Amino acid sequence: MTNNKSDIIIAVFLLCFCGIMINDASNIRDLGFEGMKADAWPRVVLWMLAVMSSVMLGKSYIQFKTDGHKDNNIFKVNFLKFKNALICFGMFIFFLSTLDYLGMLLGGIVFVFGLLTFLGGFSINLIIKHLMISILSIGFMWMVFTFGLRVMLPEGEILRVW
Amino acid sequence: MLDVILQAGASVLLDPLTLGLMGIGTLAGLLAGAIPGFTIAMGVILTLPFTFGMSPIQGLATMMGVFVGGLSGGLMSGMLTGIPGTPSSVATTFDGFPMVRSGKPGLALGLGLWSSFFGGMISAIILVALAPQLAFLGLEFGPWDYFALIVFALTITVSLSGDNMIKGLIAGCLGLFAACVGEDEINGVARFAFGSDHIRQGFAFLPVLIGLFAFSQLLSDVEDNVKAKSPLMAKTADPVRVEHRKAIALVIKNWINLCRSSFIGIFTGILPAAGGSISNILAYDQAKKAAKNRDEFGKGAVDGIIAPESANNATAGGALIMMMALGIPGDIVTAVMLGALMIHNIIPGPSFIQDEPLLAYGVFIAFFAAHFFMVGLQAFSLRLFLLVTRIPMYVLASVILAYCAIGVFALHNITFDIWVMFGFGVIGYFMRKLGFPLAPMILGVVLGKLAELNIARAIGTSDDYFLFITRPWSLFFILMAIVSVIFPFYQNANKDSLFSKLYVPICMMVLSLPLFLMGSPVRMMIAAILLLSGGYFVYKRTTRLQST
Repeated sequence: MTNNKSDIIIAVFLLCFCGIMINDASNIRDLGFEGMKADAWPRVVLWMLAVMSSVMLGKSYIQFKTDGHKDNNIFKVNFLKFKNALICFGMFIFFLSTLDYLGMLLGGIVFVFGLLTFLGGFSINLIIKHLMISILSIGFMWMVFTFGLRVMLPEGEILRVW
Repeated sequence: MLDVILQAGASVLLDPLTLGLMGIGTLAGLLAGAIPGFTIAMGVILTLPFTFGMSPIQGLATMMGVFVGGLSGGLMSGMLTGIPGTPSSVATTFDGFPMVRSGKPGLALGLGLWSSFFGGMISAIILVALAPQLAFLGLEFGPWDYFALIVFALTITVSLSGDNMIKGLIAGCLGLFAACVGEDEINGVARFAFGSDHIRQGFAFLPVLIGLFAFSQLLSDVEDNVKAKSPLMAKTADPVRVEHRKAIALVIKNWINLCRSSFIGIFTGILPAAGGSISNILAYDQAKKAAKNRDEFGKGAVDGIIAPESANNATAGGALIMMMALGIPGDIVTAVMLGALMIHNIIPGPSFIQDEPLLAYGVFIAFFAAHFFMVGLQAFSLRLFLLVTRIPMYVLASVILAYCAIGVFALHNITFDIWVMFGFGVIGYFMRKLGFPLAPMILGVVLGKLAELNIARAIGTSDDYFLFITRPWSLFFILMAIVSVIFPFYQNANKDSLFSKLYVPICMMVLSLPLFLMGSPVRMMIAAILLLSGGYFVYKRTTRLQST
C-alpha cells in the first residue's frame, strides 16, 4: 500500500490533524507562572510534525507527477486486502461496546469464538473446536487474573443478574 | 557494597517464587523468540500485565527472563528450519542452517546456545562494572544535557529504523505528541482533552505500547487468509539432542571471536535504538573479515554461529547499561522495561543505582541468572516450540488479542484503557502498512514527558538558550544527533565520493570539540586522539583522491 498516492493522502491528513491540534492548543489554560507555558512544548512538536508532513506531501506529489501514473484516482483503495483486519476491528468494537453487559468472561469468550470463526471458517468441526478454544483460553486467563493476580475484571450485567 | 549485592542476590536467588517466575519468563521468551512473527519486544510487552501484582524485583526478574530467553529462542527456528525467529538471529541462520543440513544439528544448537550464554555473561560483567560508572557520569548532566540526549536518542532511532527518514521523524513526532495529551507534568493543566475526563488523565503507557506494537503486529499476522489458516511454520523439525561438551570446547577455543562479537554487541546495545538486529549482522561481518577460512562462511562455519549469537545476547547487557544508568532505553525492549519500572513507581536515572541499590543489583543478578535458566530450559522449550508451531496463526492471534484486552484492563481497572489500546492498535496497523517505522513513535511516547520536563527545567533555570550549545555534554549530544541525521545519507552515498570518504573523519574531529570543553585530562586526551586521527584521515583521503 505504501506508494506516493497513499503518502499524499496521509500527508494531507496529518496536516489537517496538526491544524486542528494547533488550534486546540490555544485553549490550553495559561496559569501565569514563570517558565515554560503548558502549550509551548505541544506547539513545538505539532509544528515539527506539520513541517515534516509538508515535506512528505511535497516529495510524494513531485514523485507522483514525475512517475506518470495511469490511474490518477488517489482515493481508490482495495478494502478486500484488509478484510481480516476489518473483522478484527469490528469484533473488538463489539466486544468493547458489550463489555458492560457481557462482562470480561462471557464477552471474552464471545469475542474469541467470533473472531476464530470469522477468520477460520464456519464448518461444524471448526465451530466446535473454536468454542472449546475460546472457553478454555478465556476461562484460564479469567481465573489467572481473578484468583491469581486479584484483578476485579468486569462482571457484566448478565452474570450480576444471575 | 558487598552486603547490598548479597542482599539483592538473596532476594532473587533464594526466593523460590522469584526463581520460578524467572524460569517461566525464560521459557516464554524462548518460545516468543523462536516463533517467526513474534518478537522479543512482543513477548516482554505481553508479560508486563502479569507483573502488576508482583513486587518490582519479581516483575523485573520475570521480564529479564523473557528478554534473555527471547534473544536465544530465535536460534532454534533459524537453525532447524532456516527461518529466523527474531531479527536478532538472522545472521545465525547463515551458518547454523547449513550446519544442521550437513547432519550436525546437535552441535549447531549447542554452539548457538553456549555462544549466547558466554556472550550474555561477558555483557553481564560489563553491565555490573560499567552501569554504576556511567551513572556517576550521568550525575554531571543538567536538564540541557538530558534534553539533548533525548533528542539524540530519537534521531538515531529514526536514522536506523528505515530508509524513509521523513516517515521516521513523523512517527517520532506523533509519539512525542501522544505523550503531551492529558495533564502536563509541570502545571497540571489539561491539554487536548476535548472535554473528556478520561483523556484528561493522559494515555497510560502500557495500552499505547500494547496497541502500537502487539495489537498491530497480530493484525498484520492474520491479514493474509491463507497464511493465517496454515500452521505457524510450514517446515517442521525433529527434536535434537544438543552436543553440550563439544560446543563448549569449540566456543572456548574461538574465544577471540567470542570476545570481539560480545563487545560489538555491548557497544551496539549502548547506542540508543541499535538492538540485536544490527549487532548480530555486524558481528558476523567482522568475524568473516577476521577469519582465515572465509570460504567456509555460509557453509556451516563455527565462527559464523558464535559471532551473531554471542553478539545478540551481549546487546541486552549494553541496552540495560543505558537504561539503568541514564534512564534512556537502548531499544524497544528496554523501553518496555522502563515502562514496567514506571508502573512500579521507579524512575531510572543517574541516581537510580544509588537510590535503589537493591533493585538495581537485583536486576543485574536476574540478568546473570536468566542465562543459566536459558541453558537449562532450551531442550524443553525446543519440544514445546515444535508443538506450538503446529497451531495456525489465527488461533494464536485471536486468543492473544483477548489476552491483551484483559491485561490492559488490569492496569487501572478501567475500560477506557482498552479503547486506548484499540485506537493505538489501529494507528499502529496502518502505520506499518504505510511504511512508518514504529520504533521512533514508541521511543517518542516513552521519552516525551521526560523531554518536556527537562526542557521546562532548563528554561526555568536560565533563560540563556545558548546553554544548549555551550554546555559540553549538551553540545556533544546535539552534535551526535546531527551526525546520526546525516548517517543515512552516508550509508546511501557512493563509496568513492568525497562525502563518503570524509564523513567519518570529520565526525571524529567535530566530536572532539565538546570533549575538549569538558576539561578533564582523560577526556581531553580522547579529544586530542579523535582530532589528530580525524585530521590524519582527512589529509590521507583527500590527497589520495587528488592523485587519482
